[in-house]
Amino acid sequence: MRGEIGVDIGGTFTDVVCRLDDGTVRIAKLPTTSGDPSRAVLAALQMAEREWHLAPADITRFVHGTTVATNAVLERKGARIGLITTEGFRDVLEIGRQMRHQMYDLVLQPETPVFLAPGRFRKEVTERLDAHGNTLTALDEASVLRAVAELTALDVRAIAVCLLFSFLDPTHERRIRELIQQRHPTLMVSLSSDVDPAFREYERTCVTAFDAYIKPVVADYLANLEQGLAAAGVTVPLQMMQSRGGLMSASVARQRPVRLFLSGPAGGVVGGMEAARAAGFENVITVDIGGTSCDIALITDAAPLLRNEGEIDGYPVRVPMVDVTAIGSGGGSIAWIDGAGSLKVGPLSAGANPGPACYGRGGASPTVTDASVVLGFIDPANFAGGTMRLQPERAFEAIDRVIARPLGMTVEQAAIGIHRVLNAQMAEAIRLVSIGRGIDPRGYALLPLGGGGPMHACALADDLGIMSIVVPAHPGVLSASGLLGAPVAHEVATAFPCPLATLDPTALADALRALDEQCHTLMRREGIADAEVAHFADVCYIGQSYHLQVKLTASDAATIYAAFLAAHAQVYGHSTSAPATIVNLRTVHQAFMGSVATQASAAPATGAPGTRAIRIASGPVQATIWQRGSIPPDTIVAGPAIIEQADTTILMEPGWTARRTAGDALLLERHA
Amino acid sequence: MTDPITIEVTRHKLEGIANEMQSTLLRSSFSPIVKEGLDASAGLFTADGQTLAQACAIPIHLATLIPVLQRIIHDFPPDRMHPEDTFLLNDPYAGGTHLPDIAIVQPIIVNGQVMAFSAAMTHHQDMGGMSAGSVPTNATEIYQEGLRLPPLKLRDAGVENATLVRIIRQNVRIPDTVMGDINAQVAACKIGARRVTELAGKFGHNALTAIFDELLTRSEVMTRQALQRIPAGTYRYVDYLDNDGIDLEQPIRIAVAVTVGGGRIHIDFTGTSDQVRGPLNCVPSGSLAAACFAIRALTDPAIPTNAGCFRPISLHLPDGSLVNPREPAPVNARTSTIKRIASSIVAALADVLPDRVPAPSAGEMLMLAFGGRHPDGGNFVTGDLVASGSGASATSDGVGVIETDATNCMNLPAEAMEMATPIRLHRVALRAGSGGNGRFRGGAGTIREYEVLVDNVTFTHRGERHYSAARGVFGGGDGARAESVIARADGTEQIIPSKIVTRLMRGDRVIVKTAGGAGYGDQAMRDPARTAADAADGVI
Repeated sequence: MRGEIGVDIGGTFTDVVCRLDDGTVRIAKLPTTSGDPSRAVLAALQMAEREWHLAPADITRFVHGTTVATNAVLERKGARIGLITTEGFRDVLEIGRQMRHQMYDLVLQPETPVFLAPGRFRKEVTERLDAHGNTLTALDEASVLRAVAELTALDVRAIAVCLLFSFLDPTHERRIRELIQQRHPTLMVSLSSDVDPAFREYERTCVTAFDAYIKPVVADYLANLEQGLAAAGVTVPLQMMQSRGGLMSASVARQRPVRLFLSGPAGGVVGGMEAARAAGFENVITVDIGGTSCDIALITDAAPLLRNEGEIDGYPVRVPMVDVTAIGSGGGSIAWIDGAGSLKVGPLSAGANPGPACYGRGGASPTVTDASVVLGFIDPANFAGGTMRLQPERAFEAIDRVIARPLGMTVEQAAIGIHRVLNAQMAEAIRLVSIGRGIDPRGYALLPLGGGGPMHACALADDLGIMSIVVPAHPGVLSASGLLGAPVAHEVATAFPCPLATLDPTALADALRALDEQCHTLMRREGIADAEVAHFADVCYIGQSYHLQVKLTASDAATIYAAFLAAHAQVYGHSTSAPATIVNLRTVHQAFMGSVATQASAAPATGAPGTRAIRIASGPVQATIWQRGSIPPDTIVAGPAIIEQADTTILMEPGWTARRTAGDALLLERHA
Repeated sequence: MTDPITIEVTRHKLEGIANEMQSTLLRSSFSPIVKEGLDASAGLFTADGQTLAQACAIPIHLATLIPVLQRIIHDFPPDRMHPEDTFLLNDPYAGGTHLPDIAIVQPIIVNGQVMAFSAAMTHHQDMGGMSAGSVPTNATEIYQEGLRLPPLKLRDAGVENATLVRIIRQNVRIPDTVMGDINAQVAACKIGARRVTELAGKFGHNALTAIFDELLTRSEVMTRQALQRIPAGTYRYVDYLDNDGIDLEQPIRIAVAVTVGGGRIHIDFTGTSDQVRGPLNCVPSGSLAAACFAIRALTDPAIPTNAGCFRPISLHLPDGSLVNPREPAPVNARTSTIKRIASSIVAALADVLPDRVPAPSAGEMLMLAFGGRHPDGGNFVTGDLVASGSGASATSDGVGVIETDATNCMNLPAEAMEMATPIRLHRVALRAGSGGNGRFRGGAGTIREYEVLVDNVTFTHRGERHYSAARGVFGGGDGARAESVIARADGTEQIIPSKIVTRLMRGDRVIVKTAGGAGYGDQAMRDPARTAADAADGVI
């Protein structure tokens, strides 16, 4: 038997998804090995051979999502690097944009990633381009050699180079790389004109310095992993998930490691996209509710919404990323009462330890999960597939003591209140995320993920005016299954500052052709000759500093302008006939490798549904209780109902019905 | 009374609406000052003009829309308002702040009755007047500062006031940008009106109004509780602004006496300079914004921002003084004044809150404006907002080049400035040695060097801390004072006395050095490893 393997390493679990040649899909969770994450990958390999009879030599694709890049930053374990800048600008990295995040804090902390290269690691070279890319001062090679010598004396492993206006002409940066590599062939180099060829020197310096900072770490990690895979007998090249939701080979990933920051979440978004598409939905909002946070992402026309300016640890990282917004609300969020007697939920979380009061591990604070137990949404005897027995009396006690008695209400009323407040917070966050991107959530389906998502989906959909909810078969391992469903994708961009009024379509076509050639080379290295090609331009009104990405369907100014006006009207609600300009051009090549959507399995249809008293906002009701695997294919489940499965609990409010649909998903629809 | 759960759910809705308005406002505006400076805010107000929820990117906007609402309600009786009316004003003496800030207000009418207002305020890139950018440091009357708009209807029952729009377009240097930003404000207000109307449909008009009252009361209660945790007493601080841009030898005194006790805070400005000839005067809403910032910073920032937070505040603003000027005193540079008032109120409490109040930050937000013609003939107006060093605290060094107190603006990237205007930057650097010394040292200021590439550029420089330093505490040193010069192409140098409006010619350079933050504690107690690292990194 041959097959493909996807491995996603998260903080707690390493998820493994395997698609065998016969179409069957296997899923497993292994504990993450935090010291050396690659050990869990190799453990997955052994398990695949043992449990699924898939020998390493029969693996036809090996795809990996990793947090190694992110962790290197969060734990400040990147390499010691040097930064080379244009004379006069060595402090740009430390000064940044001078804004502070916490407006009312009196004692301030640095807002810029100075840790990447403190002053002694930043050197200037003599050179200067003007705003049109013309050379004002030629590159003084002696100043380069001096800077490099000073940096190597400090034992740096990598050097980032960011010169002013290098996105208009990379010659000086490239020459600096040559000079470094002639003398220090093992020193790694990141050029800003390669990493992020776009204007605004602070943001470009940041992303380039981050690239250099994690390059040695990622290179070591991938070398170690590839060696392990080869030793185990895997013959296919390793593929990595990039932040934008596409795959690239490990050999390309180590050249541009800054593209790996959202490797994990990108898998989840692609998995959500695949699950939605299998169920017949192209426009969905994914809401991943875990213990401490809730991640929101949008999928439009069966493609994840991307942003070209992302963040890592609060610092700007200007590479394309899936547009995931995290808020601090989850099942472990703690409920409390403020000084004026208002009920608050979060942002503090009980986490996994001690966890909610009902876990009985010493947690005394009432959480959202405790409220779910009090309301009867969660069966204490059947939590996490029966692997953990909850103590409902502790949930009652905590809510009674902290919330109900001080507010003069019953424990049930307080528990409903906790859910309502949490749901209002999450609904407003979803609304802000979607409307901020010019999207009306009412035209979208909701796709709940994580252990907590399906519990809140109906309430969120009701608040947002959403009519359909898609619950995938295994909301808990969607990141790993997304790895197998993702396309191989490469993207190349260039600055192309050109007012539409003076656009020369031939020059535009030439620029795109040059970008396509670079992309072709990258795709050929992955063994792909045929790819879907899409061209984009970043366009803004002249004088406006933020641009919109417009898909290019023709190279004449009128078509581009019309597309820009339409995009502006969609995102901002208005457009005017003021003149516009192109800022950047971008080409994206991608090739899909097949879908991982599972076949609808024949349900065993054993056992009739039970019933249980639950409490919802309108009062106590009798809910039908189903085990997900035993819902017969053509049965329509009507709310109020609860559908239980090992990794989550689905709460169906009155007015909603559920039925099995394509891809083994459940489709919930609102009829009220 | 409505149940506490519904109140909290509604609060999330109202804050969500304010955030959505703000998001629309920032994203759809044109001018760099909104995009990069975030100098705009949006909010919801009760039918009698009290703040319900405000999304505020910078503290200087706190409470500043309240006088606007009061004036609109006074001039246009709400019972005759139409749901598609839109009101506008920018006159500081009719509820505004300074002329570049235009306020837009829309009534939210349910069942034929005004139940709330949505409002947005934006700092526009230009409002006409004697200098590009409409913040002339040499103005002596408000008439020189730009187009002054009394409370007017921008839209009457949905029909745009074409006369008003033509007058605005005719009087500003960049009409497309200004009207684009006004349209963004209108769009933000429409969103607020639509969503509050939906909310009223769900909860009912009367129930929702009752919730509004309850939300204000709750923020008031919590603010009073937090104030009671500050030791009661009267605390004083005096600081100086450099000059008013006209009388260059005359420092401006800001004196505050902060009385805390009984859940109230009273700030008496007796002893503050009389109103000045130049534009540093500040109408009362500015002092209120400064006081609001100080209270939020000193109490609990988690308290929901609404008019309830402002109820424990009382101010004594002597008539005819810097903080309560008489018409037609110029006011365009009031930001510097508000910043210094905010930091002085906080500094007054340094002795009773030594762990929470750091040494003073320089608090200089240098404002530069350049205006002229491109070589191809088109006009350009651009600005830069340059920060200074923050003060050290009991446990940490100050931060170099960071925004503090009432403002929070981004600087302009060199590449953005050079691509848009005939100006070149030669240097963007930390100013070594400018932080005050101490056990913990102050943050450094910055050095920026600009060269203009065309003739006849109108240049405005509005600095602070050129003559009075941020003063160290508990034995810490003062931060370095700011210094700016114009290096003319002919080799002569001209020192900028904190404020100037002048003309630059091709090849002239402006070199600005902003001030450092103050130090905390005795230098002798400093960890030698910190001193060595500072030396290696070129910070000292």
